[in-house]
Amino acid sequence: MSVPDVLFYIFAVCLVGAAGMVVASRNPINAAMSLVAAFFFLAGIYVLLWAHTIAVLQVLVYAGAVMVLFLFVIMLLSLSERGPRSPITVGRILGGAAALGLGVVICIVVLKLDGSAATLTGAQAMRFGTIARMGELIYGTYLFPFEAVSLLLLAAIVGAVVVAKSRI
Amino acid sequence: MKRILMVLFWMVLVIPGAFFGISAAAYWVAYFFEGLFRGGAGVGNILVLVLAAVMIVATLLTLAERKWSAAMQDRVGPNRAHIEAGPTFIQKMRLGGLLHIPADVLKMLWKEDFMPAGARSNRFLFNLAPMLAFAPVFVLFCVVPAGPMITLGEQARKIALIVSNPDFGLLYVFAIASLAVYGTSLAGWSSNNKFALLGGVRASSQMISYEVALGLGLVGMMMTFSTVRLFDMTEAQTQYLWKFTDGDFGLPAWGIFLQPVGFLLFFAAAFAETKRAPFDVPEGESEIIGYFVEYSGMRFGLFMISEFVEVVVLAAICTAIFFGGWHLPFGEKALYAELFTQGKVFYGHQWIWGAFLGSIFWLKVLALCWVQLLIRWTFPRFRYDQIQTLGWKMLLPAGLVNVFVTGALVLWDPSLRWLAVLGIAVLVAIVALATLGTGGEEAAHAHDGHGGHGADAHGHDAHASVPAHVSGAIAPSTH
Repeated sequence: MSVPDVLFYIFAVCLVGAAGMVVASRNPINAAMSLVAAFFFLAGIYVLLWAHTIAVLQVLVYAGAVMVLFLFVIMLLSLSERGPRSPITVGRILGGAAALGLGVVICIVVLKLDGSAATLTGAQAMRFGTIARMGELIYGTYLFPFEAVSLLLLAAIVGAVVVAKSRI
Repeated sequence: MKRILMVLFWMVLVIPGAFFGISAAAYWVAYFFEGLFRGGAGVGNILVLVLAAVMIVATLLTLAERKWSAAMQDRVGPNRAHIEAGPTFIQKMRLGGLLHIPADVLKMLWKEDFMPAGARSNRFLFNLAPMLAFAPVFVLFCVVPAGPMITLGEQARKIALIVSNPDFGLLYVFAIASLAVYGTSLAGWSSNNKFALLGGVRASSQMISYEVALGLGLVGMMMTFSTVRLFDMTEAQTQYLWKFTDGDFGLPAWGIFLQPVGFLLFFAAAFAETKRAPFDVPEGESEIIGYFVEYSGMRFGLFMISEFVEVVVLAAICTAIFFGGWHLPFGEKALYAELFTQGKVFYGHQWIWGAFLGSIFWLKVLALCWVQLLIRWTFPRFRYDQIQTLGWKMLLPAGLVNVFVTGALVLWDPSLRWLAVLGIAVLVAIVALATLGTGGEEAAHAHDGHGGHGADAHGHDAHASVPAHVSGAIAPSTH
């Protein structure tokens, strides 16, 4: 196994472990911190896939901003340190079954994929995830979808302000 | 007279000489490691630049801060620490207060490592928080270039004083800087103390607010030099905007001339991220003591030293982006041609050139650290609403306007001269406004005792909204 392979398995095992902690932990702060760790290991896997920019943005946006807000809200609301042990209901069983089914479907799809087509080599791989390449794609090829998405986000922000502060 | 001569001796010989030595050592260690394996220069740079240079400067800053605050408040400052043994001349040795640093370290190491009963249930997070506060600011320096690329030694290896020069340079800075907030907020929460929690919540709200301005402030610079690599930004600042003579003399394309507004935004926002006065509500010694109230010994020490490391890193990033990095303002090529080309004195000794430019970089960093100390001991603490108003209603709109104006001017004139004209006009306006504005204030409040609010010109013009009656009244203590 080469070094990237070893790193991949380390990141993958830690990622799954952290993601499991998010679900299993009864302390909301621990769950939030596990999610931060999961984002980190995911960023590591992005780096191994040559998607450096995505990896950094993952840390910057999710770990650095979104999860800080999560943590902030949990602290402000001072949720109890040990959440209630929720009973097993029909809804939870159905949800678990759906998640399991999705996992099985994804596994089947991945196994049937032709792995050789997606492999990048040499200079092509070096260029694949750079900021310059991302910029060309976002501000060139996909300019309209990009602007449409930003309009959507703006609408969401305005909506959040209107909902939160009805008397401005 | 003796004192002035001593200060001059230190400023002209000892400090530049020390940085020359550190830079030279960094080059040769990097050269050695590069010989062991490919990419080893980065490991060498981690050892010398990050572990040694940044930590030494940060440690010395703890003393410098006390000394400088004492000078500003007309006190002597720490000078009592000495060795209580040996012959008389050793007992009388004070070394300008330098012995306070080992005394502080020993005190922190020997203090009881206390953990409050309420924090026991979150033992893991309580122990993790100081590390989470320290680690992000510590690794920030990895993308900051501290010296040029030179060809070194018999194997002619190309070595630069930078740990790594990734494609996403500045994004790395933003990403890692945004993680520092976990340390403070978790420390506040896991201490299980109302005051600590208040401090942690204040810290996280302040750091989230200023992250936006932090990023926006540098977008203009990224557009101007069309790169996000700090190394390339530094190299781009060698060109001249205007040449005054036929020789190697002119106005360099330094970021401060091109993007003064960007500099103010970045500096103010980064200052808020360091959580130092006037942005020190998360600590607020006089009211809540801060998010680290339950930490003792070296755990507290980690929080404290991370603050000083942040000061150094902020100064280094500002130097690399806005003040030409390791470059001289002018005459660099002429000097190189005079000393290092074929047949000249230092021909073949490129490391001298590299170390010389490296010491230039560190001197600029020291100057910016000093500006930060000046601001920290000049301004009183902002109220919470003032901090949020400054962040969201002043810095953010100013940053957006700056992005649009910069984009238009860069498109219009790629030689950047019109951008520089606007930038210099803004600089002159800021200096004029700051001097005129505080001049009147000072006449009315002569009892202030701070001679001249010189720091205004360096990044805090927007803070003129602080009520005049509180200015100079609060002098926060050291930790």
